[in-house]
Amino acid sequence: MEQYLPIVLLLALVVGFSVASAIGSRLLAPKRRTGAKEGPYESGIVPRYSPAARFPVRFYLVAMIFIIFDIEVVFLYPWAVMYRQLWTFGLAEMAAFAIVVFIAFAYLVSNGALDWGPRQRTGGRPPADLARSTAATVRRVPRPEELIERAGPEPRPLEPDGAPGGAPPRQAQPA
Amino acid sequence: MTVPGAWYLVLAAVLFGIGATGLLVRRNVLVMFMCIELMLNAVNLTFVTFARLLDDIGGQASVFFVLVVAAAEVVVGLAIIVAMFRRRAAATADEIHILKG
Amino acid sequence: MIQSVLFAGVGHLAQSGSGCLGPNGTSITGLCTSDNSLHMPVAYRSILPMLVLFIGALVLLLVSALLSKRSRPGLYPVLSTAVGLAALVASVWEWYDVGNRGVSTIGGQIFYDRFSVFFGVVVSVTVVLASLVSDSYLRREGLDGVEAYALILLAGTGAVLMAEAAGLIMLFLGLEIMSIALYVMAAYHRRRTESGEAGFKYFILGSFSSAIFLYGVALTYGATGSTRFQDIAGYLARNTLVHDGVLLAGMALLIVGLGFKVAAVPFHFWTPDVYQGSPTPFTGYMAALAKAAGFAGLLRTLTGALSSQQANWRPVIWLIAVLTLLIGSVMAIAQRDLKRMMAYSSISQAGYVLVGLQAGSAAGTAGSLFYLFTYAFVIVGTFAVLGLIQGPGEARNDLGAIRGLARRRPGLAMAMLVFLLAQAGVPLTSGFLAKFYVIEASVQRGQYPLAIIAMLAAAIAAFFYLRIALLMYAGEGEAAGPAPALEPAGGGAEAAGEAAGEAFVADGALTAGLQPVPSLDGATATLTWEPPPEERIAIPPAVAATLAICVVFTIAAGVSSPIIDFARHATAMI
Repeated sequence: MEQYLPIVLLLALVVGFSVASAIGSRLLAPKRRTGAKEGPYESGIVPRYSPAARFPVRFYLVAMIFIIFDIEVVFLYPWAVMYRQLWTFGLAEMAAFAIVVFIAFAYLVSNGALDWGPRQRTGGRPPADLARSTAATVRRVPRPEELIERAGPEPRPLEPDGAPGGAPPRQAQPA
Repeated sequence: MTVPGAWYLVLAAVLFGIGATGLLVRRNVLVMFMCIELMLNAVNLTFVTFARLLDDIGGQASVFFVLVVAAAEVVVGLAIIVAMFRRRAAATADEIHILKG
Repeated sequence: MIQSVLFAGVGHLAQSGSGCLGPNGTSITGLCTSDNSLHMPVAYRSILPMLVLFIGALVLLLVSALLSKRSRPGLYPVLSTAVGLAALVASVWEWYDVGNRGVSTIGGQIFYDRFSVFFGVVVSVTVVLASLVSDSYLRREGLDGVEAYALILLAGTGAVLMAEAAGLIMLFLGLEIMSIALYVMAAYHRRRTESGEAGFKYFILGSFSSAIFLYGVALTYGATGSTRFQDIAGYLARNTLVHDGVLLAGMALLIVGLGFKVAAVPFHFWTPDVYQGSPTPFTGYMAALAKAAGFAGLLRTLTGALSSQQANWRPVIWLIAVLTLLIGSVMAIAQRDLKRMMAYSSISQAGYVLVGLQAGSAAGTAGSLFYLFTYAFVIVGTFAVLGLIQGPGEARNDLGAIRGLARRRPGLAMAMLVFLLAQAGVPLTSGFLAKFYVIEASVQRGQYPLAIIAMLAAAIAAFFYLRIALLMYAGEGEAAGPAPALEPAGGGAEAAGEAAGEAFVADGALTAGLQPVPSLDGATATLTWEPPPEERIAIPPAVAATLAICVVFTIAAGVSSPIIDFARHATAMI
């Protein structure tokens, strides 16, 4: 036991120092909190809400269906344990149970809850317009002075070399 | 070494309290959701502990029902949340303000 | 799509709940160790109404799955009504069957007694009324589909299971089956943001209360060693607990959990929001069903299993009842939204049922049962009227929407008047007898302060009921100023008094209520003046029939009522 004493002392020292410095910095440090400082990015944009990972709705749908069908199995375990004692009665009851599950399943299928994958387009339309041409598909990129004219009431300042700052404004795209 | 049963009960009570507090304090609906799950599972722990203390299997059987009910609740709650926040940017309870009560 | 999943969850819950009656009541040994034979025949006739409702929901789903989309829009309400009627017939048959065979249980988990059967009748009737009312609303809002009716039936299934439950676990299952269906119903209106919010709030707070209830179940189980009511009662009769902290905590949590469901006052915060946001016919159904089932659970738990602990729970219920009565009545006066006002009104109505529960006697239970039965008709009818006058998209729920209803639709106004008078407790309506029975039961137990508070709350509540009545009869649209509004107000009051037949309550309330009404009318007229909706309100035949049933029942039950006899028979719990 004795030989562990240095380690214990070291541990105590480490814990003590970290606690002391945490408390010390809390007591001593100046606190001027602003919204921008507290934000996750210091780019000056105040976040409006906590960033959340986004999943498509379909994912939730599958998850929900899975949870339900997954958890139903829990009732099969006690039945399996008592299977021999219950025999026909248990069999009939579990058949009723399975039928109920099946009806719910049929309802899901009929509502298209299990139609995964890309949407099937049944209209017979070709994937793209056959009459397209270079003139119809290639977008004409506006010149900077046109951008100034079209950009609305507040013309954007341009860089000397003529490249528009940031993303091109939406209005500049031909309709 | 065996842990006395009362400790499990205390742990379950603490978990239940954490869940209840989280539900009232947190603003993210998914976290609120998890708090409900935490509360239900704390109850499950209580059931199992009592079943062991009383030497009665009824408490363990109750856990089955609670599990299934919790799953169904999760599914329906998730569906309500998805339906509700489909056209909104974020899932925070602060945005639920039309009905004032 | 989402709707389907919403529903699938509920369907699955219900199936697991129902599945547990058969397989798990027997296969999970701990739950029915009392029967030595594992081949226990399940007497399905004793859960017949619940089976009818549940199988009806499954048939609806199956039909919708087999038929093509939108092929039979009018089929589902008809089927749902038929299922409700079948459940009603089954319940009535059971009533006599119980009389012949006597009470029994299924594995100690399900009671087959007149208490269960009484609630089978109440729930079946509510299901029928709700199915009839919902159809036209759902079509108007473009929400018609099978899910609404399947949810109505499933919520009914859960409610019946709650009343039949012979143990806390079954009570919890019934509670959840009902609640989860009701959460979805609250969120059913996809295009109204309020509806989604109502569903979400109901879900979060409802799950919270369910979890609290469940913790109460666990603690009670730990204290008494069983979740079955009979075993709990037996254990408490045999043993005097020295350290009864766990039991007391469990009992308190049970009361809190069920108090949430019936909207008793410290736990009522969800009620106005949810009632306001939910689709209007569903609000009525929710109010009738959740209250009936929640009180069934409370009665079973408190007066049944924990009757030996009356000294502990009666003071708690006393306090909750007083708070519920007073706060419900007072808050309702301040509301500007009709549905919110009715929400607070329903809170104060729950207070009277609590008065009956607090008595802890057979008379009190009978009074509560009578109250719940008659209230189902009144509240479904009230919200049916509100659903008609609010217009498409639930555009108008403010008090102004009901102004001058008597001129536009005299029949509708008369029906609404009957419902309002019944809620106010005017004689010759069912509400008077209901309040009378619970207060009488309370007086029999020497609870004079509680009885006086209940009557005081009735007087306060009469103010806002009569205010709505006056608006219906007085508020001519063109009379924009306060001065002209005064004259028809008197006329409306007289009409109200006449319709009541006797008016000793109405008189007292009118003298108290007449003074503020003109000034209030003026305020409404100047602040939020809009031209009254002049379009004629269309009354669909099904809704008209429902309203007629509700009105006739409300008056008939108020004149001479065999129902109280049924309720008295139903108090004989196992």
